[in-house]
Amino acid sequence: MLLETSGLTKYFGGLAAVTALDLSVGQGEIVGLIGPNGAGKSTVFNLITGLIRPTSGKVFFGGQDITGKKPHVVAKMGIGRTFQTASLFPDFTVLENVVASFYLYPKSGFWEALFNVPSYRRKESSILGQARDILRLVGLDKLEDLPAKHLPHGHQKVLNVARALAVRPKLLLLDEPVAGMTHDEIVFSLGVFEKVRSQGVTIFLVEHNLEIMTLCDRLVVINFGEKIAEGTAHEVRQNEEVIHAYFGSEDAA
Amino acid sequence: MVVLFLLPGVIGRPYYLHISIMALIYIIVVSSLRLIALSGQISVGHAAFMGIGAYFSGILSKDLGLSPWLTIPMGGLASMAAAVVMGYPFTRVRAIYFSMVSLFGGIMIVNLVRVAQRWTGAAGLAGIPPLSPIHIPGLITITFLGQKTPYYYFTLVLTLACLVVLYRLEHCRVGMTWKGVAQSYLVASSVGINEAGLRVLSFAVGCFFAGLAGAWYAHYNLVVTPATFGFLPSIFLVMYMLVGGRDRFAGPVVGAAILVMIPELFRSLKEFAPLILGAVMVLVVFLMPRGIAGLFDWTKGIERDAGRGKATEHAA
Amino acid sequence: MGIGLLGQVCVNALMLSSIYVLMALGFALLLSIMGVLNFAHSVIYMVGGYVCYQLAVVAGVSQWLSLLLATAIVGSFGLVLERACFRPFFGDPNRTMVMALALIVIMESVVNILVGSYVRSLPSFAPGVLRWQGVSISRERVVTFAIGAALMAVLMTLIRKTRLGQQMLAVSQEPVGAVLQGIDIFRVSAVATVIACALAAVAGSLMGAIINLNPFMGDQMLVKAIEVVIVAGIGSIGGVAVAGLILGTIDSFLPLLLSGSATDAVGLAIVILILLFRPQGLFGHAV
Repeated sequence: MLLETSGLTKYFGGLAAVTALDLSVGQGEIVGLIGPNGAGKSTVFNLITGLIRPTSGKVFFGGQDITGKKPHVVAKMGIGRTFQTASLFPDFTVLENVVASFYLYPKSGFWEALFNVPSYRRKESSILGQARDILRLVGLDKLEDLPAKHLPHGHQKVLNVARALAVRPKLLLLDEPVAGMTHDEIVFSLGVFEKVRSQGVTIFLVEHNLEIMTLCDRLVVINFGEKIAEGTAHEVRQNEEVIHAYFGSEDAA
Repeated sequence: MVVLFLLPGVIGRPYYLHISIMALIYIIVVSSLRLIALSGQISVGHAAFMGIGAYFSGILSKDLGLSPWLTIPMGGLASMAAAVVMGYPFTRVRAIYFSMVSLFGGIMIVNLVRVAQRWTGAAGLAGIPPLSPIHIPGLITITFLGQKTPYYYFTLVLTLACLVVLYRLEHCRVGMTWKGVAQSYLVASSVGINEAGLRVLSFAVGCFFAGLAGAWYAHYNLVVTPATFGFLPSIFLVMYMLVGGRDRFAGPVVGAAILVMIPELFRSLKEFAPLILGAVMVLVVFLMPRGIAGLFDWTKGIERDAGRGKATEHAA
Repeated sequence: MGIGLLGQVCVNALMLSSIYVLMALGFALLLSIMGVLNFAHSVIYMVGGYVCYQLAVVAGVSQWLSLLLATAIVGSFGLVLERACFRPFFGDPNRTMVMALALIVIMESVVNILVGSYVRSLPSFAPGVLRWQGVSISRERVVTFAIGAALMAVLMTLIRKTRLGQQMLAVSQEPVGAVLQGIDIFRVSAVATVIACALAAVAGSLMGAIINLNPFMGDQMLVKAIEVVIVAGIGSIGGVAVAGLILGTIDSFLPLLLSGSATDAVGLAIVILILLFRPQGLFGHAV
């Protein structure tokens, strides 16, 4: 198991956002976290990446306990993520967004950078090349000089993924990566995710979109912060509790 | 550039040399303030860090007899050390709350300086040694006591050197990382950037230059008083930066140069000087939103803000 | 320590807390509701005291009436401040700051020019001494405390019970949502600014009577206001009262134990400790 949570719980004041959540993501899988709005999906991501501290419970990554570790430490251990909103450096260009995200690998020291020594210049040109490779992967290479805030919505979402790839993640957490995209954009994104997976990256994503769910090997369904079902898309679709959570009781149908 | 070097020859009058020297010193300080602002933090206590450098270097050279050439960089380091100590708690809050806390810190530092009268003197620190003479055997001897011209040249060199370093910092990966942190601390931390640590770093480096400039000032003016580094001067520094333009490197240079000159030129109307200064600032705010240096951006196509205002998106 | 001294120090603590709270409330209101760091607050405080002086001493108006008038005048200046400073640059904190700073510079120099920088004193609002159980307490300080506490109570009631108060809370928590709900953000900010300025003016006048007036009195008071806000917490209005009380008490008792200068260091230490271990303050919401 690459990622595991055990009894993960978070209370905000008196409100239980996540309750005793046990989930796991295996190496090479694409797992989807789904649930109605407000079910606590983004909170789970924030708990895993250390943006919020859990009230109780633990998170394990690659066998190591990462509970409560700071976000930048979690990133260094190999977890990349996108956000539902606020996912870019808006004033940087597309290229700069990715280049700036190459902070961890290769790492340049302060003095190295200041004095512009050859080793630093080599690292920077290597980063430039890698950044362009990633942009080609996600299809944004033609737009590299455009300020990110001027990108259309779908492109911005894709840029998020590009950015997250710069940390050489073993696990990619994608928070609603195709929300608001057109059908064509979604199909394109699916292709990107498949390509990413084929390069050995495990993907754990949050989504509402049914097409994305078909991409997933497995789905975990939560509602009101609790896991209510788990299994393949087919299994989950037939689960009564899931139907109830999404569509209300039969009377309302 | 050539103009700057020939300046003393052309002007000659010591008073105008004095203004130029002061402008140069403040160019360093305001540029260093802008460095801190690159990471999305506006420090409203910056003058105090200038003061730490000034007092540290002044006291060390005066009481221990060390050469100012040695104590001036030490002043910068002292200021940086203080910035690290205070920066760690201060950078726990962001954007406007950081400004509030830095305002507090700045005034506190000056209060403490006033209180430590045993070392800092009752009404100020006097008798600070000027820069020690440079003696190159067989060539020349440069003395600084009572001479403005050597001070001018060396200040010019210092300012240029500092600007080169500051420019380099901004345009290498460190600067890019700072700008990223300013735009979104969430995104920055998700790609492995220790955003809190980076913010402390920018605060520390900025304060180093402020301390350096402050120490240099001490050995030029030979007297320092707490009032030079207090609440109002810190506010002026922020103003110089914002009026000159926060987005471009040249902004603080323009802002400091112009706004230091104005009160000096209106010296005769001594009490009205701040009034005129205030009026100028109001004008600039209304007519030139990106500061004076921002006027040069007319010709550019798509604008590139350097994170102006974005830090507040992520305030509490 | 004799009971007499203890009594006086206690009253002093209450009085000081009161002034701190008055000053910090206005500052916190503007900070929480409008996200504005109102540097001009220090100047408003000072100007309030001077206006009161001009009315009471120079124009010979009755003491209490002067206080009222000064508060009204400075409060209305708050409207100007909001119009000129905050409203045009709403959402652009940099330009708001420059405007506010420009205003301080202008105001301090205007006062300097008109009045000169030597120190003045307002006559006492409530001269004389109270005797209670053999302890003599300055009536002035008790009255100051009473006024501060009363104003605080009024303000809290205003915020909790009136619609405008509710709107202010809404804007401070979620400005975009508030606008969508039809709340006139500018009206709310105007009211908040007027209240903030009025409170500061009262504080300035009272302090002018207890101690004195000088053009730079606002600076140290602003520092105190910031201390209170940091301790109370970002976003908390009610917490300001508690924080003010704590800091006022500390500042009254500490000089007895340590030298006066050490109180500054203690203030700094408190702020640093809070920032390190609880940056959101005692009552604030998370940063």
